[in-house]
Amino acid sequence: MKIGLGALIALLCCAVTPVLAAETGYTLRSTDLKLRPFLDAETLQALPVNTRVDILQRQGAWMRVNSLKQQGWVRMLSVRLGSADQGGQEDGGWLSVFALGKPRSSSPTTATVTTGVRGFSEEELKASTPSPAEFDKLASFAATPDQAAALAAAGALATRQVPYYADNGKPERSAK
Amino acid sequence: MNLRLMTRLVALVVLLGGCAGQNGEKFSLQNVDVGALVSNIKGLREVGEPEEISVGRGVAETLLGARPLQPDPELQRYVNAVGLWVARQSERPGLPWHFGVSDSDQVNAFATPGGNVIITLGMLRILRNEAELAGVIGHEVGHVVRKHHLNALRKEAFLGMLGQGVTAASQGRRSEKLVQALAGPTKELYARGLDKDDEFEADRVGVVLAARAGYDPWGLPSALQTLAGIKPDSTYLALLLKTHPAPSARLEKLAAAMTDHFDGYTDAPQQAQRFHRMTAGVRQ
Repeated sequence: MKIGLGALIALLCCAVTPVLAAETGYTLRSTDLKLRPFLDAETLQALPVNTRVDILQRQGAWMRVNSLKQQGWVRMLSVRLGSADQGGQEDGGWLSVFALGKPRSSSPTTATVTTGVRGFSEEELKASTPSPAEFDKLASFAATPDQAAALAAAGALATRQVPYYADNGKPERSAK
Repeated sequence: MNLRLMTRLVALVVLLGGCAGQNGEKFSLQNVDVGALVSNIKGLREVGEPEEISVGRGVAETLLGARPLQPDPELQRYVNAVGLWVARQSERPGLPWHFGVSDSDQVNAFATPGGNVIITLGMLRILRNEAELAGVIGHEVGHVVRKHHLNALRKEAFLGMLGQGVTAASQGRRSEKLVQALAGPTKELYARGLDKDDEFEADRVGVVLAARAGYDPWGLPSALQTLAGIKPDSTYLALLLKTHPAPSARLEKLAAAMTDHFDGYTDAPQQAQRFHRMTAGVRQ
Protein backbone atom coordinates (compact mmCIF):
# COMPACT_ATOMS: atom_id res chain seq x y z
CA MET A 1 0.00 0.00 0.00
CA LYS A 2 1.36 3.36 -0.93
CA ILE A 3 0.64 6.44 1.21
CA GLY A 4 1.29 9.92 -0.12
CA LEU A 5 3.51 12.35 1.76
CA GLY A 6 0.58 14.57 2.70
CA ALA A 7 -1.37 11.69 4.13
CA LEU A 8 1.71 10.57 5.97
CA ILE A 9 2.26 13.97 7.52
CA ALA A 10 -1.39 14.08 8.54
CA LEU A 11 -1.02 10.67 10.11
CA LEU A 12 2.09 11.75 12.02
CA CYS A 13 0.28 14.83 13.28
CA CYS A 14 -2.56 12.69 14.55
CA ALA A 15 -0.08 10.39 16.16
CA VAL A 16 1.52 13.09 18.26
CA THR A 17 -1.63 14.96 19.19
CA PRO A 18 -2.39 14.22 22.83
CA VAL A 19 -5.63 12.39 22.29
CA LEU A 20 -4.87 10.38 25.36
CA ALA A 21 -8.28 8.80 25.52
CA ALA A 22 -7.13 6.70 22.59
CA GLU A 23 -4.43 5.07 24.69
CA THR A 24 -4.98 1.47 25.53
CA GLY A 25 -3.11 -0.92 27.73
CA TYR A 26 -3.32 -4.38 29.23
CA THR A 27 -2.94 -5.52 32.80
CA LEU A 28 0.50 -7.00 33.48
CA ARG A 29 -0.86 -9.01 36.38
CA SER A 30 -4.22 -9.45 38.06
CA THR A 31 -5.03 -6.15 39.68
CA ASP A 32 -7.93 -4.45 41.45
CA LEU A 33 -10.05 -1.82 39.77
CA LYS A 34 -10.64 0.73 42.53
CA LEU A 35 -13.36 3.34 42.99
CA ARG A 36 -10.73 5.93 43.97
CA PRO A 37 -6.94 6.23 43.55
CA PHE A 38 -6.06 4.85 46.99
CA LEU A 39 -4.99 1.37 48.10
CA ASP A 40 -7.71 1.25 50.77
CA ALA A 41 -10.46 2.47 48.42
CA GLU A 42 -13.39 0.24 47.54
CA THR A 43 -12.56 -2.47 44.99
CA LEU A 44 -14.99 -2.47 42.07
CA GLN A 45 -13.71 -5.71 40.60
CA ALA A 46 -10.54 -7.73 40.14
CA LEU A 47 -9.12 -7.48 36.63
CA PRO A 48 -7.44 -10.68 35.44
CA VAL A 49 -4.02 -10.54 33.81
CA ASN A 50 -4.02 -9.25 30.22
CA THR A 51 -7.33 -7.42 30.56
CA ARG A 52 -7.71 -4.49 28.19
CA VAL A 53 -7.91 -1.04 29.81
CA ASP A 54 -8.73 2.22 28.02
CA ILE A 55 -6.69 4.89 29.73
CA LEU A 56 -8.48 8.15 30.54
CA GLN A 57 -6.16 9.88 32.96
CA ARG A 58 -2.97 9.50 35.00
CA GLN A 59 -2.55 10.84 38.51
CA GLY A 60 0.29 9.91 40.83
CA ALA A 61 0.70 6.13 40.99
CA TRP A 62 -2.72 5.58 39.42
CA MET A 63 -4.50 5.48 36.09
CA ARG A 64 -8.19 6.13 35.61
CA VAL A 65 -9.41 3.56 33.12
CA ASN A 66 -12.41 2.01 31.46
CA SER A 67 -12.23 -1.74 31.70
CA LEU A 68 -14.78 -4.54 31.53
CA LYS A 69 -17.51 -1.91 31.22
CA GLN A 70 -16.58 -0.19 34.45
CA GLN A 71 -14.66 2.99 35.15
CA GLY A 72 -12.18 3.10 38.00
CA TRP A 73 -8.54 3.38 39.05
CA VAL A 74 -5.71 0.87 38.67
CA ARG A 75 -2.05 1.08 39.68
CA MET A 76 -0.02 2.52 36.82
CA LEU A 77 2.67 -0.11 37.22
CA SER A 78 0.13 -2.92 36.83
CA VAL A 79 -0.49 -1.83 33.25
CA ARG A 80 1.57 -2.02 30.10
CA LEU A 81 0.84 -0.01 27.01
CA GLY A 82 0.51 -1.59 23.63
CA SER A 83 -1.12 -4.59 22.12
CA ALA A 84 -2.56 -7.75 23.62
CA ASP A 85 0.31 -9.88 22.30
CA GLN A 86 2.88 -7.85 24.30
CA GLY A 87 4.54 -6.90 21.06
CA GLY A 88 4.44 -3.16 21.62
CA GLN A 89 2.12 -0.54 20.23
CA GLU A 90 0.18 -1.45 17.12
CA ASP A 91 -0.56 0.92 14.29
CA GLY A 92 -3.49 3.16 15.03
CA GLY A 93 -2.63 4.05 18.60
CA TRP A 94 -1.39 7.53 19.41
CA LEU A 95 2.13 6.11 19.17
CA SER A 96 1.63 4.83 15.66
CA VAL A 97 4.46 7.08 14.54
CA PHE A 98 6.84 4.54 16.04
CA ALA A 99 5.23 1.56 14.41
CA LEU A 100 5.49 3.44 11.13
CA GLY A 101 9.15 4.02 11.71
CA LYS A 102 9.86 0.34 12.00
CA PRO A 103 11.85 -0.97 9.02
CA ARG A 104 9.77 -4.10 8.84
CA SER A 105 9.48 -4.57 5.11
CA SER A 106 10.86 -3.28 1.86
CA SER A 107 7.66 -1.45 0.99
CA PRO A 108 8.18 2.09 -0.34
CA THR A 109 6.15 3.55 2.53
CA THR A 110 8.39 2.12 5.19
CA ALA A 111 11.53 3.11 3.33
CA THR A 112 10.33 6.70 3.08
CA VAL A 113 9.54 6.93 6.76
CA THR A 114 12.72 5.24 7.89
CA THR A 115 14.93 7.64 6.00
CA GLY A 116 12.82 10.44 7.51
CA VAL A 117 14.05 9.66 11.03
CA ARG A 118 16.48 12.47 11.52
CA GLY A 119 19.24 12.75 13.94
CA PHE A 120 21.29 11.21 16.68
CA SER A 121 21.78 7.83 15.19
CA GLU A 122 24.97 6.07 16.16
CA GLU A 123 26.31 6.88 12.70
CA GLU A 124 25.70 10.62 13.15
CA LEU A 125 27.33 10.54 16.56
CA LYS A 126 30.43 8.82 15.19
CA ALA A 127 30.66 11.30 12.32
CA SER A 128 30.37 14.35 14.58
CA THR A 129 32.76 17.27 14.43
CA PRO A 130 32.76 19.21 17.74
CA SER A 131 30.77 22.43 17.40
CA PRO A 132 31.83 25.29 19.69
CA ALA A 133 29.25 27.57 18.04
CA GLU A 134 26.41 25.20 18.89
CA PHE A 135 27.62 25.02 22.48
CA ASP A 136 27.59 28.82 22.73
CA LYS A 137 24.01 28.73 21.44
CA LEU A 138 23.13 26.14 24.09
CA ALA A 139 24.61 28.37 26.79
CA SER A 140 22.77 31.43 25.47
CA PHE A 141 19.39 29.88 26.37
CA ALA A 142 20.32 29.20 30.00
CA ALA A 143 17.72 30.19 32.58
CA THR A 144 18.47 32.18 35.72
CA PRO A 145 17.39 30.86 39.13
CA ASP A 146 14.78 33.63 39.23
CA GLN A 147 13.31 32.51 35.89
CA ALA A 148 13.17 28.92 37.10
CA ALA A 149 11.46 30.01 40.31
CA ALA A 150 8.96 32.13 38.36
CA LEU A 151 8.05 29.15 36.18
CA ALA A 152 7.60 27.04 39.30
CA ALA A 153 5.41 29.67 40.99
CA ALA A 154 3.23 30.05 37.89
CA GLY A 155 2.81 26.27 37.83
CA ALA A 156 1.94 25.92 41.53
CA LEU A 157 5.09 23.85 42.04
CA ALA A 158 6.01 23.87 45.72
CA THR A 159 9.30 22.28 46.76
CA ARG A 160 9.25 19.29 49.09
CA GLN A 161 11.83 17.57 51.24
CA VAL A 162 12.29 14.09 49.78
CA PRO A 163 15.27 11.79 50.49
CA TYR A 164 16.97 9.71 47.84
CA TYR A 165 16.09 6.04 47.98
CA ALA A 166 18.44 3.11 47.41
CA ASP A 167 17.50 0.23 45.10
CA ASN A 168 15.93 -1.65 48.03
CA GLY A 169 13.60 1.24 48.85
CA LYS A 170 15.48 2.38 51.96
CA PRO A 171 16.46 6.05 52.24
CA GLU A 172 20.07 6.73 51.31
CA ARG A 173 22.05 7.83 54.31
CA SER A 174 23.44 10.86 52.52
CA ALA A 175 23.90 12.12 49.01
CA LYS A 176 27.10 10.83 47.53
CA MET B 1 46.40 -8.41 30.66
CA ASN B 2 43.34 -8.24 28.47
CA LEU B 3 43.15 -6.41 25.20
CA ARG B 4 40.79 -3.76 26.50
CA LEU B 5 43.06 -2.74 29.35
CA MET B 6 46.03 -2.76 27.00
CA THR B 7 44.17 -0.48 24.60
CA ARG B 8 43.42 1.94 27.40
CA LEU B 9 47.00 1.92 28.58
CA VAL B 10 48.23 2.66 25.10
CA ALA B 11 45.73 5.50 24.83
CA LEU B 12 46.91 6.86 28.15
CA VAL B 13 50.54 6.57 27.18
CA VAL B 14 49.89 8.45 23.96
CA LEU B 15 48.01 11.20 25.76
CA LEU B 16 50.47 11.52 28.58
CA GLY B 17 53.22 11.56 26.03
CA GLY B 18 51.48 14.34 24.20
CA CYS B 19 51.04 16.35 27.38
CA ALA B 20 54.56 15.83 28.57
CA GLY B 21 55.77 16.85 25.16
CA GLN B 22 53.91 20.12 25.52
CA ASN B 23 55.73 20.79 28.73
CA GLY B 24 59.02 20.00 27.13
CA GLU B 25 59.64 16.98 29.31
CA LYS B 26 61.06 13.72 28.10
CA PHE B 27 58.54 10.97 27.68
CA SER B 28 58.90 7.91 25.55
CA LEU B 29 57.18 4.57 25.30
CA GLN B 30 60.38 2.82 26.31
CA ASN B 31 60.36 4.56 29.66
CA VAL B 32 56.82 3.58 30.57
CA ASP B 33 56.40 1.56 33.71
CA VAL B 34 53.15 -0.29 33.04
CA GLY B 35 52.65 -1.16 36.70
CA ALA B 36 52.93 2.47 37.67
CA LEU B 37 50.49 3.43 34.94
CA VAL B 38 47.89 0.97 36.22
CA SER B 39 48.14 2.39 39.71
CA ASN B 40 48.04 5.87 38.22
CA ILE B 41 44.70 5.05 36.59
CA LYS B 42 43.25 3.58 39.74
CA GLY B 43 44.56 6.33 41.96
CA LEU B 44 43.69 9.15 39.64
CA ARG B 45 42.82 12.11 41.76
CA GLU B 46 39.33 13.53 41.87
CA VAL B 47 38.57 15.80 38.96
CA GLY B 48 37.83 19.29 40.26
CA GLU B 49 34.66 21.15 39.33
CA PRO B 50 36.28 23.63 36.91
CA GLU B 51 37.95 20.71 35.12
CA GLU B 52 34.67 18.83 35.06
CA ILE B 53 32.98 21.83 33.46
CA SER B 54 35.69 22.03 30.80
CA VAL B 55 35.37 18.31 30.09
CA GLY B 56 31.59 18.69 29.93
CA ARG B 57 31.89 21.45 27.39
CA GLY B 58 34.11 19.27 25.23
CA VAL B 59 31.70 16.35 25.42
CA ALA B 60 28.72 18.62 24.68
CA GLU B 61 30.44 20.13 21.63
CA THR B 62 30.78 16.66 20.16
CA LEU B 63 27.17 15.72 20.95
CA LEU B 64 25.93 19.00 19.47
CA GLY B 65 28.17 18.47 16.46
CA ALA B 66 26.25 15.26 15.77
CA ARG B 67 22.95 17.11 15.71
CA PRO B 68 22.25 20.84 16.15
CA LEU B 69 19.69 22.40 18.47
CA GLN B 70 16.09 22.87 17.48
CA PRO B 71 15.84 26.53 16.35
CA ASP B 72 12.87 27.76 18.49
CA PRO B 73 14.34 29.98 21.26
CA GLU B 74 11.06 30.02 23.22
CA LEU B 75 11.05 26.24 23.44
CA GLN B 76 14.72 26.20 24.45
CA ARG B 77 14.10 28.76 27.21
CA TYR B 78 11.08 26.84 28.50
CA VAL B 79 13.04 23.58 28.75
CA ASN B 80 15.88 25.49 30.45
CA ALA B 81 13.51 26.93 33.07
CA VAL B 82 12.01 23.49 33.81
CA GLY B 83 15.46 21.92 33.78
CA LEU B 84 17.04 24.45 36.09
CA TRP B 85 14.12 24.22 38.52
CA VAL B 86 14.67 20.46 38.72
CA ALA B 87 18.48 20.69 38.85
CA ARG B 88 18.34 23.23 41.67
CA GLN B 89 16.70 20.57 43.85
CA SER B 90 19.89 18.49 43.55
CA GLU B 91 23.04 18.72 45.66
CA ARG B 92 24.76 20.61 42.83
CA PRO B 93 22.44 23.60 42.29
CA GLY B 94 25.27 25.97 41.38
CA LEU B 95 26.65 24.18 38.32
CA PRO B 96 26.32 26.11 35.04
CA TRP B 97 23.27 24.10 33.99
CA HIS B 98 22.39 24.17 30.30
CA PHE B 99 19.45 22.36 28.75
CA GLY B 100 18.92 21.98 25.03
CA VAL B 101 16.40 20.45 22.68
CA SER B 102 18.15 18.62 19.85
CA ASP B 103 16.59 18.79 16.40
CA SER B 104 16.31 15.01 16.22
CA ASP B 105 13.39 12.66 15.69
CA GLN B 106 15.17 9.99 17.70
CA VAL B 107 13.77 9.40 21.19
CA ASN B 108 16.70 10.03 23.53
CA ALA B 109 18.30 12.33 26.09
CA PHE B 110 21.90 12.89 27.08
CA ALA B 111 23.86 14.43 29.93
CA THR B 112 27.47 15.52 30.06
CA PRO B 113 29.69 16.20 33.04
CA GLY B 114 29.43 19.74 34.36
CA GLY B 115 25.68 20.22 33.84
CA ASN B 116 24.77 20.01 30.12
CA VAL B 117 21.59 18.13 29.28
CA ILE B 118 20.26 17.50 25.78
CA ILE B 119 16.82 16.09 25.07
CA THR B 120 15.68 15.20 21.57
CA LEU B 121 12.55 16.49 19.87
CA GLY B 122 11.52 12.85 19.48
CA MET B 123 11.56 12.48 23.26
CA LEU B 124 9.63 15.72 23.81
CA ARG B 125 6.95 14.50 21.42
CA ILE B 126 6.20 11.30 23.32
CA LEU B 127 5.90 13.06 26.69
CA ARG B 128 2.43 13.89 27.98
CA ASN B 129 3.11 16.69 30.41
CA GLU B 130 5.72 18.76 32.24
CA ALA B 131 5.94 16.23 35.08
CA GLU B 132 7.15 13.62 32.58
CA LEU B 133 9.64 16.16 31.19
CA ALA B 134 10.82 16.91 34.74
CA GLY B 135 11.29 13.18 35.35
CA VAL B 136 13.32 12.67 32.18
CA ILE B 137 15.41 15.76 32.94
CA GLY B 138 15.77 14.56 36.54
CA HIS B 139 17.22 11.29 35.24
CA GLU B 140 19.82 13.23 33.24
CA VAL B 141 20.57 15.57 36.15
CA GLY B 142 21.08 12.38 38.18
CA HIS B 143 23.84 11.31 35.79
CA VAL B 144 25.52 14.68 36.32
CA VAL B 145 25.29 14.91 40.11
CA ARG B 146 26.43 11.28 40.52
CA LYS B 147 29.23 11.94 37.98
CA HIS B 148 28.42 8.85 35.93
CA HIS B 149 29.87 10.03 32.63
CA LEU B 150 32.83 11.71 34.28
CA ASN B 151 33.74 8.49 36.06
CA ALA B 152 33.20 6.43 32.91
CA LEU B 153 35.54 8.77 31.04
CA ARG B 154 38.09 8.51 33.83
CA LYS B 155 37.89 4.75 33.55
CA GLU B 156 38.89 5.15 29.94
CA ALA B 157 42.08 6.55 31.40
CA PHE B 158 42.44 9.42 29.00
CA LEU B 159 41.53 11.97 31.63
CA GLY B 160 44.98 11.24 32.97
CA MET B 161 45.87 14.17 30.79
CA LEU B 162 43.99 16.43 33.16
CA GLY B 163 46.23 15.41 35.98
CA GLN B 164 49.19 15.85 33.75
CA GLY B 165 48.90 19.47 32.91
CA VAL B 166 46.24 20.50 30.42
CA THR B 167 46.16 23.80 32.22
CA ALA B 168 43.37 25.52 30.33
CA ALA B 169 41.04 22.76 31.45
CA SER B 170 41.53 23.58 35.10
CA GLN B 171 40.24 27.12 34.60
CA GLY B 172 36.81 26.06 33.38
CA ARG B 173 37.55 27.53 29.96
CA ARG B 174 37.41 25.96 26.54
CA SER B 175 40.52 24.11 25.46
CA GLU B 176 40.77 23.10 21.82
CA LYS B 177 43.24 20.40 22.73
CA LEU B 178 40.90 19.00 25.36
CA VAL B 179 37.88 19.10 23.04
CA GLN B 180 39.79 17.21 20.37
CA ALA B 181 41.12 14.69 22.88
CA LEU B 182 37.58 14.09 24.18
CA ALA B 183 35.88 13.64 20.81
CA GLY B 184 36.83 9.98 20.31
CA PRO B 185 36.11 8.77 23.85
CA THR B 186 32.85 10.77 23.84
CA LYS B 187 31.65 9.03 20.68
CA GLU B 188 32.61 5.67 22.09
CA LEU B 189 30.97 6.23 25.48
CA TYR B 190 27.72 7.71 24.17
CA ALA B 191 27.37 4.96 21.56
CA ARG B 192 28.10 2.24 24.11
CA GLY B 193 26.26 3.66 27.11
CA LEU B 194 26.90 3.65 30.83
CA ASP B 195 26.78 0.70 33.19
CA LYS B 196 23.23 -0.52 33.82
CA ASP B 197 23.49 0.34 37.52
CA ASP B 198 24.22 3.96 36.64
CA GLU B 199 20.98 4.07 34.62
CA PHE B 200 18.97 2.52 37.44
CA GLU B 201 20.48 5.00 39.89
CA ALA B 202 19.70 7.94 37.60
CA ASP B 203 16.08 6.75 37.42
CA ARG B 204 15.84 6.77 41.22
CA VAL B 205 17.41 10.24 41.42
CA GLY B 206 15.12 11.52 38.64
CA VAL B 207 11.96 10.55 40.50
CA VAL B 208 13.16 12.22 43.71
CA LEU B 209 14.25 15.44 42.00
CA ALA B 210 10.89 15.74 40.22
CA ALA B 211 9.14 15.18 43.57
CA ARG B 212 11.32 17.78 45.32
CA ALA B 213 10.54 20.22 42.50
CA GLY B 214 6.84 19.84 43.28
CA TYR B 215 5.83 17.69 40.31
CA ASP B 216 3.91 14.44 40.21
CA PRO B 217 6.88 12.10 40.73
CA TRP B 218 5.31 9.42 38.55
CA GLY B 219 6.26 11.33 35.40
CA LEU B 220 9.44 9.33 34.82
CA PRO B 221 7.79 5.93 35.34
CA SER B 222 5.02 7.10 33.02
CA ALA B 223 7.56 8.06 30.33
CA LEU B 224 9.35 4.72 30.79
CA GLN B 225 6.03 2.98 30.38
CA THR B 226 5.57 4.80 27.08
CA LEU B 227 9.01 3.62 25.96
CA ALA B 228 8.15 0.07 27.02
CA GLY B 229 5.05 0.25 24.84
CA ILE B 230 6.96 1.14 21.67
CA LYS B 231 8.04 -1.73 19.46
CA PRO B 232 11.66 -2.34 20.44
CA ASP B 233 12.84 -2.52 16.85
CA SER B 234 11.55 0.99 16.13
CA THR B 235 14.17 3.09 14.37
CA TYR B 236 13.26 5.93 16.72
CA LEU B 237 14.58 4.01 19.72
CA ALA B 238 17.69 2.36 18.24
CA LEU B 239 20.40 4.26 20.13
CA LEU B 240 18.42 4.62 23.37
CA LEU B 241 17.76 0.90 23.60
CA LYS B 242 21.35 0.07 22.69
CA THR B 243 22.66 2.26 25.50
CA HIS B 244 20.08 1.65 28.25
CA PRO B 245 18.54 -1.37 29.98
CA ALA B 246 15.12 -2.36 28.61
CA PRO B 247 12.41 0.10 29.77
CA SER B 248 10.46 -2.75 31.40
CA ALA B 249 13.54 -3.71 33.44
CA ARG B 250 13.98 -0.07 34.48
CA LEU B 251 10.36 0.12 35.58
CA GLU B 252 10.75 -3.02 37.67
CA LYS B 253 13.88 -1.73 39.40
CA LEU B 254 12.30 1.67 39.94
CA ALA B 255 9.18 0.15 41.46
CA ALA B 256 11.33 -1.78 43.94
CA ALA B 257 12.97 1.47 45.06
CA MET B 258 9.83 3.65 45.08
CA THR B 259 7.76 1.06 47.02
CA ASP B 260 4.99 3.10 48.67
CA HIS B 261 7.12 6.22 49.26
CA PHE B 262 5.42 8.10 46.43
CA ASP B 263 1.81 7.04 46.96
CA GLY B 264 0.77 10.32 48.52
CA TYR B 265 1.12 12.50 45.45
CA THR B 266 -2.30 12.21 43.83
CA ASP B 267 -2.72 16.00 43.77
CA ALA B 268 0.78 16.94 42.59
CA PRO B 269 0.79 19.10 39.43
CA GLN B 270 1.59 17.58 36.04
CA GLN B 271 1.26 20.84 34.09
CA ALA B 272 -0.08 19.15 30.97
CA GLN B 273 -1.66 22.31 29.53
CA ARG B 274 1.46 24.44 29.85
CA PHE B 275 3.58 21.64 28.40
CA HIS B 276 1.31 21.26 25.38
CA ARG B 277 1.14 25.01 24.85
CA MET B 278 4.92 25.38 24.96
CA THR B 279 5.60 22.37 22.71
CA ALA B 280 2.72 22.85 20.27
CA GLY B 281 5.04 24.20 17.58
CA VAL B 282 7.11 21.02 17.42
CA ARG B 283 4.19 18.62 17.49
CA GLN B 284 3.01 19.60 14.02
